[in-house]
Amino acid sequence: MEKNKKLPVAKIALCMVLLALPFLFTAVGFQYGVLVCCFAFLYIIAVSGLDIDFGYCGQISMGHAAFFAIGAYGSVMLHQYFHIPIIFTMVIATVLAAAVGAVIAYPASKLVFHFLSLATIAFGEIVYSLLLNSPKGVTGNAVGMFTDSINLLGFSLSSNESFYYFGLACTAIFLMAKWLMVNSKVGRAWVAIRENPHAAGGMGINVTKYKVMAFAVSAFYTGFAGAMYAHLVRYIGPDTFTQKQSVMFVTMMLFGGTGSILGPIVGAVLVFSITEGLRMFEQYQMLIYGALLLVVIVALPGGVYGEMKKLAGKLLQKGKGGEKSAA
Amino acid sequence: MVKRVLLEIDNLCLSFGGLKATNDVTMHMEQKKINGIIGPNGAGKTTFFNQISGVYKPDSGSIVFDGKRIDGLKPFQINEAGIARTYQVINLFKKMSVIENVMVGMHPRLKANFFDSLLHNKKQKEEEAKAREKALDLLDFVGLKEYAYAQAGALSYGQQRLLEIVRGLASDPKLILLDEPAAGMNSTEKVELNVLLRQILERGVTILIVEHDMKLMMDISDRIFVLNYGKKLAEGTPAEVQKNPEVIAAYLGGDEE
Repeated sequence: MEKNKKLPVAKIALCMVLLALPFLFTAVGFQYGVLVCCFAFLYIIAVSGLDIDFGYCGQISMGHAAFFAIGAYGSVMLHQYFHIPIIFTMVIATVLAAAVGAVIAYPASKLVFHFLSLATIAFGEIVYSLLLNSPKGVTGNAVGMFTDSINLLGFSLSSNESFYYFGLACTAIFLMAKWLMVNSKVGRAWVAIRENPHAAGGMGINVTKYKVMAFAVSAFYTGFAGAMYAHLVRYIGPDTFTQKQSVMFVTMMLFGGTGSILGPIVGAVLVFSITEGLRMFEQYQMLIYGALLLVVIVALPGGVYGEMKKLAGKLLQKGKGGEKSAA
Repeated sequence: MVKRVLLEIDNLCLSFGGLKATNDVTMHMEQKKINGIIGPNGAGKTTFFNQISGVYKPDSGSIVFDGKRIDGLKPFQINEAGIARTYQVINLFKKMSVIENVMVGMHPRLKANFFDSLLHNKKQKEEEAKAREKALDLLDFVGLKEYAYAQAGALSYGQQRLLEIVRGLASDPKLILLDEPAAGMNSTEKVELNVLLRQILERGVTILIVEHDMKLMMDISDRIFVLNYGKKLAEGTPAEVQKNPEVIAAYLGGDEE
């Protein structure tokens, strides 16, 4: 982290390559690839958000599907019942998700590890039950709701290609914002809390405030991803927002590696590709996540990206002859 | 020059169940002095520290710091008020770099809010640059500058102790509480610590130190407070304390009456 203080120019250049990707997919006749990328983008945003909460601030959440749901249902319902243009509904729903996150985080900030994960599971279940049994059926209950594509300044993002560019831009903005946050006083406070909450308090950090902040920011990311999902698929039903979704976010995060910008990207892309590739075994999805988690925890404790970084660091040190060792 | 009392502790009490960990303790500490607290194991020294720094809330009594009552405040508020501390067990942020540890210590003095941090605006950038420079200066002060970008967990034990002290100094405190800073240090490091403590004092920071090393304590303290079974047994200059029969009895055993 300490060496990456400049804006990652090389990574931005990589994004430029990403701009050409839909044409590439079209050229080889693999249209489906564009849609996969659209999903990958929104999962990257959701998992990057979860990483702010867990990877940086050290708070586990097993209920982030709830924020995904608030973003998705919030946006769809605001559009359907109040006829607000979709891009605005997405923003309002995202802010709402962050606000709910802050409210949940305040009492939850006193909990750690398994107590926090239980509390967040319970929260996820409450939101899921509300979707399924809403007052007057405003969420469409088990039937779900249909909705429209995003309309951006008169352009309808109904094709996968147009959504691809929208998703790419959003991903870039969200990742940039994450980079700016974690490389500041706020990010330092989060990591300090993760490393040692008592000492962080002793250093003048308002631990409760920063924990709530991390949780709310995290909910903001995942909420926006949920809104993207709703208007990409144009249909939402409660089945998308079960505990399984929360487990998938956590799997993606741990698989890729926590506490970094690239880790969640690697994790979201790999795990989503694996799940897509094994679509025919859908009933075994939880089993697949379980196996992936086991592999990561036993063999790659830093996640795929974390282990790659460690390996690169070792090779680099070998090259230098290990001249700089602080111990 | 008028002697000014910086920290006024009056009739402080704290019990854990039936155990009186702090029993009616009164201590007044002048500013720009090195104040030492000694006492046998289990005398309640760390518990006493934890009440000043806000980890525990005293049952009764008052703590007035720099004219402001601070008992019952949360640790972060007490740090904001100008009291920094180090810990008996090393409590660094091990996976952060050395310089980041120091910069975390500056947290309450940095004014950038969440949105300044999100946008990295001019105010935030200038403040960060200044903070970084100051952190390097502080590391230079204790001879850790060359390790600024190493992981804090990779430092040697003695260096980690020093880093704890620098991290405390980073918030520009008026008072720093040092909980057994010499623990685990070798004799050379102890001599260096002695020099360092005097340098900290020269910077205008009042010191309150708990330490088992009697030689160091007698040598460095302006005033010594002796705790035993949660009670203040004696206070005075090192020479006075050393002659006090009650203190000798507490340390060496002997007739209670």
